[in-house]
Amino acid sequence: MGALDGIRVIDLTVWFQGPVAAQFLADFGAEVIKVERPQGGDQARGVRSIKAVPVGDWNQYFLVINRNKKSLAVDLKKPAGRAVLDRLVERSDVFLSNLGPELLASWDLGYERLRALNPKLVYATNTGYGAFGQVDRPSFDMTVQALTGLMARLGEPGQPPIYLGMGSGDAYGGLLSALGILLALYHRNRTGQGQMLDASLYGAQLFLTAPTLQAYLATGRREFAQQRSREEPENPTWNRYRARDGWLFLCVPNQDEAFAKLCRTLGDDALGADPRFAGADGRRTHARALVARLDATVAGRSVAEWMERWRSAGIAASPIGTLADAARDPQAWENDYLLETHCHEVDRQVAIRGFPIGLSRTPGRVESLGPELGQDTELLLADTLGYSWEEIGELKAQGAIP
Amino acid sequence: MGAALADVVVVDLTTEYWGSLGAALLADFGARVIRVEDLGRGRVAPRAPRALHPDARYDYDADLVQRNKQGLALDLDDPSGRELLHALVAKADLLFTDWPADRLEALGLDPAGATRLRADLVYTRGSGFGPKGPDRELPPLDELAAARTGMMPILPQPGEPPVYAGAGPLYTAALLALGSLVALVHRQRTGEGQEVDASLYSGNLYGASLDLQAFLAMGGDRLTQPVARTDAGNPMSGVLYPAKDGRWLCLTMPDTDRWWPGLAGVMGLAVDDPRFDSHEKRCGEYRLELIRVLEERFACHDGEHWRARFVEARLSADVIEDFEHPATDPQARRNRYVLELERPGAGTIRTLGFPIFMSETPARLDRFAPCAGQHSAEILHGLLGLGEARIQELVERGVVA
Repeated sequence: MGALDGIRVIDLTVWFQGPVAAQFLADFGAEVIKVERPQGGDQARGVRSIKAVPVGDWNQYFLVINRNKKSLAVDLKKPAGRAVLDRLVERSDVFLSNLGPELLASWDLGYERLRALNPKLVYATNTGYGAFGQVDRPSFDMTVQALTGLMARLGEPGQPPIYLGMGSGDAYGGLLSALGILLALYHRNRTGQGQMLDASLYGAQLFLTAPTLQAYLATGRREFAQQRSREEPENPTWNRYRARDGWLFLCVPNQDEAFAKLCRTLGDDALGADPRFAGADGRRTHARALVARLDATVAGRSVAEWMERWRSAGIAASPIGTLADAARDPQAWENDYLLETHCHEVDRQVAIRGFPIGLSRTPGRVESLGPELGQDTELLLADTLGYSWEEIGELKAQGAIP
Repeated sequence: MGAALADVVVVDLTTEYWGSLGAALLADFGARVIRVEDLGRGRVAPRAPRALHPDARYDYDADLVQRNKQGLALDLDDPSGRELLHALVAKADLLFTDWPADRLEALGLDPAGATRLRADLVYTRGSGFGPKGPDRELPPLDELAAARTGMMPILPQPGEPPVYAGAGPLYTAALLALGSLVALVHRQRTGEGQEVDASLYSGNLYGASLDLQAFLAMGGDRLTQPVARTDAGNPMSGVLYPAKDGRWLCLTMPDTDRWWPGLAGVMGLAVDDPRFDSHEKRCGEYRLELIRVLEERFACHDGEHWRARFVEARLSADVIEDFEHPATDPQARRNRYVLELERPGAGTIRTLGFPIFMSETPARLDRFAPCAGQHSAEILHGLLGLGEARIQELVERGVVA
């Protein structure tokens, strides 16, 4: 049984932010109907390579974020196609789209009209820059991330800004969109009242940099907006260090007792006695010198040796791993953060992202990976929407459905 | 206008930035979130306390992560303090915590104990690494979780140190709020409560969605190592180019057939240049050549020049800004992503607003962070029905502040 059993969602989304919002709903049991154009469907079906590496025999980009969904192929450029969608709106709980507002308007899919069809509808959009205001520009993850200030403050001074990772902002926007939809559903279940909501890429990504942006808003201090060198940190013992065979993250608070304990594990008695590094202020003031000293010491042993010493001393630290390390981390598998499931496209088990949220009574589940384009069209029309087979034939003849 | 969570009472036992922020997301939408501060000696201290900037005139962190909450301060080492907390949990719909399992158990508020107090309770707990597995009790430090996710080595340019981006706590806060809502909606229908969990590790892994999933499916060294800026898979997508004035430009045009005519026009290149006249050539044989040509041409004009051209041609490309942009952007203000308001003792301030717009139940800022125990009397009297004399006695004994 799923937490969201009985909730029907129209998922008129493409690429990543919208689809991943609907994926949360589908994972927890909602009936999510992905509405796609008959020619090609969601553009993400066309992804052929990532970072110049071919995607191989299954398009994981599309299939994982569209798991547990049905696919309805319908041509919304045709009046008969829009009539099909209207009937679906009357019988659904949620309408979600990340298409441009002008495209939705051209198909007459604005909130006011859909609300008239179904006053209890939760109508959710993912705009690029917010539901209000004049900005009307294409919005992909990175170009929006660029405007938040998030990228500009990361990396070593003089290096290019840092993009947080493919679709990282989309992933956050999708998460907030799902949260908004659940808030609206909760309210609707209590009051019977539907509403519209928007979780934009810009709004989400501003929130994604909350701690530093909030500090900047409050103080206006440039240092919060600028790149900061690893060699000049606020606290030199809470930092990244390179051991002989790889990097480590060391997390020692800037306190005398903790510093003394660290010095003992480093086997460097002189360090603990160095007057420059006595007291928290001293370590902060002489950060560069302390980092240089720690760089030299940490480089002398392997990651495993340091981890052994620090673990037994109760010092928090971690090797800085690669995606390959994460992919074989038992901690990730035991908590269902990673899963195996069957992929019908290649007829074998594949590894996928699992559930970042655990629910004890109604856990998420993966019943299928992303649907084939239009695979559920006829059944949905006949069973859910009550079209006769004659009418379905007519829709096909008109080209409204494939 | 009403509030989405007007009938929801939340007991907030959080100490970490991300835990408190997760509960604040519920408070923003109208839940009555009662933040319990523990006065006892056994109280949980934050693992990674954030220092305010010395110039700060007010606690801007609390303004965000404790906003809209009510404050109750109890000595939880004292049996009477625990009794009051138990009475409060019995009245609550949701317990929201980031405290360690052993502290919660000592308070009788492990999941089984809490459920005995309130059978249909939604019990949301955030941790560092999840409720199962060998590392379930590691300290909840985002740096440790980020280090294990695999993203830190691939964010910088080759040869540069791994990058800590600090986004994990934000993913985790929202995951905890979303999980709570899923459970509350389920409870509306069935009357059943349940346990909800998310962790800094799950948040970081979720934030790495596409890179991680690509590696799971495709493997190989290229996805685990940093890719040089001048070696992108698609010269028109995910690449940074410097403009003449040193400002950085970024392009995201994955479907190059759609965008190439516009970009070629802006760059002064022939649309039918035989090196670049198909997606396969642009992302294959002539990929590095196209990067070289774009790099050369972008370096001829300043950032603002290119922004104007990008807007004209409606291209998906922009100049990379710093925080000054959102701080002064009318669009951010108009959508209440950034609020400007009066703050007692500090004058006009700017603060982060709300990332979700709702037409009927919008988020609102009713109050700034409560002081410890600011609403103690109101809660003990209004919600638990304690008389004035009893409250006075508890205050005198130091059980309540």
